[in-house]
Amino acid sequence: MRPVSEVIDIHGAQLSRRGFLAGGGALVVALEVLPDGAQAAAPNTTLNPAMLSSWIEIGADNTVLIRTGKSDFGQGSIYTAYRQIVAEELDIPFEAITRVVSADTDRTPDGGGTFGFLGDVNGNGMPNLRKVAAYARQALLELAAQRLGVARDQLSVADGVVSGGGKRIRYGELVKDQNLKLTIPIRGQIEGFMGLAVEGNPPMKPVASYKVIGKSFKNSAIVSKVTAKELWVTNVKLPGMLHARMVHPATLGSTLVSVGAFDKAKFPNTQVIVKGNLVGVVAPDEWEAIQAARQVAAATKWSDWKGLPGQANLFRHLRSEADWKSARVNKGAANKGDAASAMAAAAKKFSASYELPYMKHAPIGPTMALADVQPDGMVTVHTHTQNAQQLRVQIALMLGITADKVIVRTYAGAGHYGRSNGGNAGGEDEAVILSKELGRPVRVQWMRADDMQWSTQSPAAYSDIRIGLDAGGRIAAYQANHHMPAGQDDRPIGAVLAGLPTQRPPGDKDRPASGNTLYDEWVYDGILNSEERGHSTWQIGQLDSPLAAGLRDHAMRTPGQYQQNFPRELALSEAAALAGADAIQFRIDHAKEERLKSVLARLRQESGWETRPAPNPRAASAGEMRGQGVSVMLRSGTYWACACQIAVTPATGALAVEKITVVVEPGIVVNPQQLKRQVEGGILMGVSEALYEEVAFDESGVTARDWQSYPILKMADMPEVKVVLVHRPEVGSYGGGSEAANALASPAIAAALFDATGKPVRRLPLRPSYVKGLLQA
Amino acid sequence: MAAITVNGAQREVQSPVDTPLLYVLRNELDVTSPQFGCGLAQCGACSVLLDGREVRACVTPVSMALGKEVTTIEGLPARWARQKKLPPAEAEKTLHPVQTAWIEEQTPLCGFCQNGMMIKATELLEKTPSPTDAEIKAAFTTSGPSAHLCRCGSYAAILEAVRLASALMMKSGNT
Ligand code: FES
Ligand code: FES
Repeated sequence: MRPVSEVIDIHGAQLSRRGFLAGGGALVVALEVLPDGAQAAAPNTTLNPAMLSSWIEIGADNTVLIRTGKSDFGQGSIYTAYRQIVAEELDIPFEAITRVVSADTDRTPDGGGTFGFLGDVNGNGMPNLRKVAAYARQALLELAAQRLGVARDQLSVADGVVSGGGKRIRYGELVKDQNLKLTIPIRGQIEGFMGLAVEGNPPMKPVASYKVIGKSFKNSAIVSKVTAKELWVTNVKLPGMLHARMVHPATLGSTLVSVGAFDKAKFPNTQVIVKGNLVGVVAPDEWEAIQAARQVAAATKWSDWKGLPGQANLFRHLRSEADWKSARVNKGAANKGDAASAMAAAAKKFSASYELPYMKHAPIGPTMALADVQPDGMVTVHTHTQNAQQLRVQIALMLGITADKVIVRTYAGAGHYGRSNGGNAGGEDEAVILSKELGRPVRVQWMRADDMQWSTQSPAAYSDIRIGLDAGGRIAAYQANHHMPAGQDDRPIGAVLAGLPTQRPPGDKDRPASGNTLYDEWVYDGILNSEERGHSTWQIGQLDSPLAAGLRDHAMRTPGQYQQNFPRELALSEAAALAGADAIQFRIDHAKEERLKSVLARLRQESGWETRPAPNPRAASAGEMRGQGVSVMLRSGTYWACACQIAVTPATGALAVEKITVVVEPGIVVNPQQLKRQVEGGILMGVSEALYEEVAFDESGVTARDWQSYPILKMADMPEVKVVLVHRPEVGSYGGGSEAANALASPAIAAALFDATGKPVRRLPLRPSYVKGLLQA
Repeated sequence: MAAITVNGAQREVQSPVDTPLLYVLRNELDVTSPQFGCGLAQCGACSVLLDGREVRACVTPVSMALGKEVTTIEGLPARWARQKKLPPAEAEKTLHPVQTAWIEEQTPLCGFCQNGMMIKATELLEKTPSPTDAEIKAAFTTSGPSAHLCRCGSYAAILEAVRLASALMMKSGNT
């Protein structure tokens, strides 16, 4: 046995043996922060993120536990892909990973949000757990070499058993009774947007030898949900808990004039809590709280406010009244050549403006959170959050306490589709305020109208696109100016209403709104002159609202890229028509990247595409006009192509999407069945967005209240969905798959409407009234 | 005091009888699979079977359930075992075919709507053991007080899961 304090270098990580632990015990492969590593974990995190045991625990019984700061909002990745990735790098069976701990601020190491599961922001396919597992494997090999007396390069691992030189040992035996530390390098800030990142380059298992990745393992959370065993956030109860309903202001700029009374005889256990413009109605019984809140709401008086342009004037307001000058104008990373001169010299020109509405996450269950503020000042929030660490910091900021006093526990809940806020979804801060006031745990459940009217929206946007064709019908110049109000409003709305501290809004009176990034990765490298610009302005109504509220925006599924890809792809389809070219071939002809060309070629085979220029030369038959449309996207390392076939009934303006085909090439497909389900879900959400979704608002606030005033897709209206997964292991990374699909549907459907009718489509949603108007134009 | 039958068991209810069944089940009886989605009979997240018919627990006062049989997801395995007259030992480890199909097809995304989806599927398949795709779509769209809504877009997966559940139920019927 080697000396006790020896430190062994493991590819930049450090393995040390600190003596022995008697009796049972899991592997503790632990680590310390390197001098150049990240800041130490916040004090209430019981795990040291620099310790491998914080991420992965290998038990003496050969079971494995993994921890991640990310939560699950229906992607399933932490229960499927993460298990597969860890099992693969460690060479253990998928089933050996028996527990996944996620997104509890005191029990998970890395923070970060519910996005970019399979890679860093650049889609490099290096989730933290992949590297952590790779370090662990090397450390385990080193331990096995020592124990077996066999050189490391003579050892191999299969199913958690290390063997070589005629000897074998299981991982569990290697770590049993040991006190080992593996120090891994990390970087970043645990409460930051991205959380901590594991650094260094431990050797990764060659893709060619993958056994676990690429198979359709089932999602364990699905079993517990389907058998009613899941502990949903909605099911969490605490002793002495009170139920609350909020009475939100009458408008997005109203201040409280007087609080309404309620019938004390009828609601004997009800209390009304007022803090600034925050009004909560609380009772031990949930139904009492609901009824009393209705009565209080009906009698509460608010100041009037009319600071919004109203839906009918939205784009006039954005074009001619909004200030686009104060924010930085961003330029596309791929801009090249001299688009202005090439445009001037073009043989044929096309220009169009496209408008996209405000949309809602509209989770099927409105926000709910349970907070418990203890007399000693410790705050625990039980919720369904997309960024538990960020929420923790916001709660601390609101209360003027340090983050170590706040614990956020995350449970399953209704999906949001991106961040509907910066970790908070609406009720968390309100629950904390009420619990602090009452000294008891308080459960805040938003009603459907609270969600429609007080959650953040995906911002409206408009884009001006110009395309110049040369004499041969190729694109000589492409110019795009994308306009979108600021997003990422992370302020918890309850704190805003109560007048408590929050982080800054995205752009306040003294500071220009943050810029509009060019989110849509450029894929048409064959165009010699291209110029994209992103313009931003304040959130509508924010500066004018006495609450500093207005129409607050936040990221929703494929954020920003949706708003820029729709105009780009629809304009490409129209330019193809102007060139007399087929829309798929036209895209292939302007692309250089082989991965993009091959998804388009595959799409042509799989989708029943008719190769021809638009519009469709076939006359309407049986009272129907038919069309096809295509779109492409590059997002998070994945190439996407989508085609759809639609039918339009001119008499009614009804648009039926009959079939959608999507080709997805993420490089390595980690789990085919899960990816297929994600893509189908994304596509159907995209059909919903394309056909129906638009937040109705007037001069005072959002007028949508429910599923009738914010309609979404119903089952009878879904198209046939065909998902084609293209596995290309040689790419070497895992591209993302939970986003993008929703954004692909819209430009493909709009292009198909153009193909069917010959009428240029300039906005979403494609409701019958708009389609009828197009046909009459 | 009122009493209702929930998943085969007689349960006393203290709440006033105008309380919607949803809050009685979730808060008083600890039967938590029905979820609050809208409270307006517009989404189906709260659905339960009342004497085999899908109703919206969020707008159904508990008084309407008196003397009737309420079935939730928790009670689906026992409902199936009773219908198939399975011996207790077998019944214990048996899921309802709808649940088996939902797992096999990996149907839920966030899963929050799926309580109502499985309740609707069970109602449909008890009446129409071998539905066509059009019948399945109609069941989830027009047969109840509102369409059953899924914000995550799991409709394609639901369609496949109902087909599989139907096949599983037919198979068990023939043995
Ligand atoms: S919660 Fe009952 S139908 Fe929506
Ligand atoms: S699975 Fe999320 S709402 Fe249906």
